[in-house]
Amino acid sequence: MNSSVKKVLVACGTGIATSTVVVERVKKLLADNGIKADVEQIKISEAKGKQDNADLIVSTTILPTTYEIPTVIATGYISGMNAEQIDQKIINILQ
Amino acid sequence: MDLKDLLDMDLVWLNQPVKSRQEIFNLIGEKAFIKGKANELFSEKLAEREAVFPTGLQLKNYGIAIPHTDPEYINEPFIAVLTSEEGVEFNRMDDASEAVNVNIVFVLGLMEPHQQLSILQELMKCIQSEEFLEDLRSSRNKQNVLSVFNQEY
Repeated sequence: MNSSVKKVLVACGTGIATSTVVVERVKKLLADNGIKADVEQIKISEAKGKQDNADLIVSTTILPTTYEIPTVIATGYISGMNAEQIDQKIINILQ
Repeated sequence: MDLKDLLDMDLVWLNQPVKSRQEIFNLIGEKAFIKGKANELFSEKLAEREAVFPTGLQLKNYGIAIPHTDPEYINEPFIAVLTSEEGVEFNRMDDASEAVNVNIVFVLGLMEPHQQLSILQELMKCIQSEEFLEDLRSSRNKQNVLSVFNQEY
């Protein structure tokens, strides 16, 4: 990826519940760290088809397959456990 | 709209002697259907979704689960709550091979993601509060549950 605007896919099983909260969290995290990114909310089943134009998949749910781009499991954003470590992982990948 | 506005007291079960996830889905699905909040496929779809993408969460002191499915099975948004003294086994959201003993189940009947962001954020904040979970789990009647949802955590 040469573009300075990163593309992040935020996924959960349905694409409507837990990912809704995570999209807001990731958008804020990236803005706070000066990372320009387009954040898209998807169902994890759509990730395979959308990965080509993306830099990162952030998922609250299990990954049904493997991907060619980095992935971060972000269930901690829902449970509140280790949320800061997830923040750091995402920043490290995109910076 | 707040989280408590989605709570329907007919969809609250306290210390319910349930033995399995399926029993929980049947109980809640049937009632949600009778109340007109979900269609007749809801419990079946909840079970299917849970089998592929489990929703169990191991928190510090509690195991909880937030089963939900696609919006097409929902007629009107709602949140159902079921507590179980002994707990029911769910698989973990972040690792389906791991089980978690769940004492509080929040079944989410959700529709449009953007309209429900603040409600979901409120729910996540509650889930992350051990005090909220403790108060909910120790609720002995529906009036207690209502006051828990009316309180700030």
